[in-house]
Amino acid sequence: MTLSMTDSYRVRVTRRLRLTGSDAREALLGGSLVLPVIVVMGALVFFPLVMTAGQSLFRIDPMRPGTPFIGMTNYTRLFNDPEVRAATANTLWLVLLAVVLETLGGVAFALLLQSMGRARKWLLAAIILPWAIPSVVNSLMWSWMFNPTYGVINAILRGLHLISGDFVWSNNRTAALVLIALVHVWKMLPLTAVIMLAALQGIPAQLYEAAKIDGASSWRTFISVTLPLTAGPLAIAMTQSTVTAFNLFDEAWILGGASLDTRSLLIEVYMTAFQNLHMSYGMALSILVMLASLAVSSVFVLRGRGETHSE
Amino acid sequence: MSEALSLRLSEALTPAKIGKGVLIALVLLWSLGPIYWALNSSLMQPVDLTAVPPHAFPPAPTLKTYSGLLGLQGAADNATGASIWPHFRAATINSLVTAVAGTLGTIVVAALGGYAFARLRFPGRNIVFGLVVATLAVPGYTVIIPLYRLMIKLGLVDTYLGLTLIYMSAFLPLALWLMRSFFLSLPKSLEEAAQIDGASRLYTLFRIVLPLAMPGLIATAIVTFLSVWQQFSVPLVFSPTYATKPLTVMIPELASRHDLNFGLINAAGILAILPPFVVVVFLNRFLVQGLTAGAGK
Repeated sequence: MTLSMTDSYRVRVTRRLRLTGSDAREALLGGSLVLPVIVVMGALVFFPLVMTAGQSLFRIDPMRPGTPFIGMTNYTRLFNDPEVRAATANTLWLVLLAVVLETLGGVAFALLLQSMGRARKWLLAAIILPWAIPSVVNSLMWSWMFNPTYGVINAILRGLHLISGDFVWSNNRTAALVLIALVHVWKMLPLTAVIMLAALQGIPAQLYEAAKIDGASSWRTFISVTLPLTAGPLAIAMTQSTVTAFNLFDEAWILGGASLDTRSLLIEVYMTAFQNLHMSYGMALSILVMLASLAVSSVFVLRGRGETHSE
Repeated sequence: MSEALSLRLSEALTPAKIGKGVLIALVLLWSLGPIYWALNSSLMQPVDLTAVPPHAFPPAPTLKTYSGLLGLQGAADNATGASIWPHFRAATINSLVTAVAGTLGTIVVAALGGYAFARLRFPGRNIVFGLVVATLAVPGYTVIIPLYRLMIKLGLVDTYLGLTLIYMSAFLPLALWLMRSFFLSLPKSLEEAAQIDGASRLYTLFRIVLPLAMPGLIATAIVTFLSVWQQFSVPLVFSPTYATKPLTVMIPELASRHDLNFGLINAAGILAILPPFVVVVFLNRFLVQGLTAGAGK
């Protein structure tokens, strides 16, 4: 560590002693290599983003004449909109279910993988597979399994005498939300498992040996050694779980459509802007969703920036 | 002899090992069960699909659903299937073209940009990188309304070029983050040696750094490919016709037709997961590398 620091210091010094134009040339090259990034992101993300923020202060509605400036009206109306409230509540439930299940399941999967020998590679492939499947296909597969009459899940529940007849999952708000969360968790849990497996592999084996010599139980070892040493990756995994569930669209759309029982915030944005054509109202809502999402994921960004600064 | 064998067996089958075996079985059931169920249903005769309780194996396995989907049977044999093939073919081609084009565009820009962010000093570097990475948290629908108007003005709605550009803007942040961390993990000494020998920065990048970063480049390409392949909300808005409509938008439309055929939906789903399946089985090592580096090593 110290060695590489002195090394890079020496290089910087020698570089400064060399051609005066070398820094300028490096900056020019850096700028040129990054230019495509700036053009694509600027034109297709930041420009539309600024437009969204600006236009959310106007009334843009193809069904009504003119586009008058209305200030924060769209935003204040959002807070009293029952549809937005329902969608917010649905989204918060989905986030809660997803983060808890993905974290517990992901850590459990990672511990199991870590304890395996040669077969680990194959179990890991099986675990990752759901992550690679398009969420649309995954939702359709699950909706067939949860079919009230012909589905395998209800057949099992009937066999266990937990239900009788055809339990219709989509008719019950709690059941429908749990189903959507489950489908989402099935896809996203592998990511937590992979992140945590990498974190577990980074723990030096001597620490476990020391804990064993000290006579620590496996639970105690998990609490005192494993958890503290994987806290960073765990926070990252939970952050991405939160952001992904917060931006959930596909699963809720395929399984619940426009139903208010399961409508997520992004479905609400889609319905408002593209089905009901209240363009600027939808924009205002999407800005609020973005701010919430950014606040949650600041962990990600702060880490990224920290890395850049330390470099 | 038999005593030794039973001793070895009892050694092998400790309660801990049995417990672990049960756990592995449960994990496999959770991860592969739904895929097996879709495969099972896709191989059934329509009449067996509606059996109560459902069959765990197809009682009379048939590839009829697949051959209908792929247009391999006469129109007289299965009217529904035969009419689906042109759409299924178009959607498959669209999925492949947009996924490949989106991936290539993304990794080329991300490889060059990632190197600059990792190794070169230029004004605004940290701010630009921070802003780009921050968009990872921006939901697609925050920009989609003005983007839609922009794309209409440019005549790029329902075109491969338009979709490719949108996918590049959507998946560049993660790809840049990945490429930058791969470049940062390479030893600087090789590049410095090349420079001292008088090699230019670009020569160093293309001849020394990129070959070393190849595993990272493959990992980034895989993660990007799978992300584009599974896109739904973007083409839902930007691909109204079969000029660019991908499988992810086409397959749910099968489900909303009045002649709801679960065998057909499951078969289409199984075909749509073949590319991801191949990637996971054969390129798993790179995929895991990409996913963990994405977690911010």
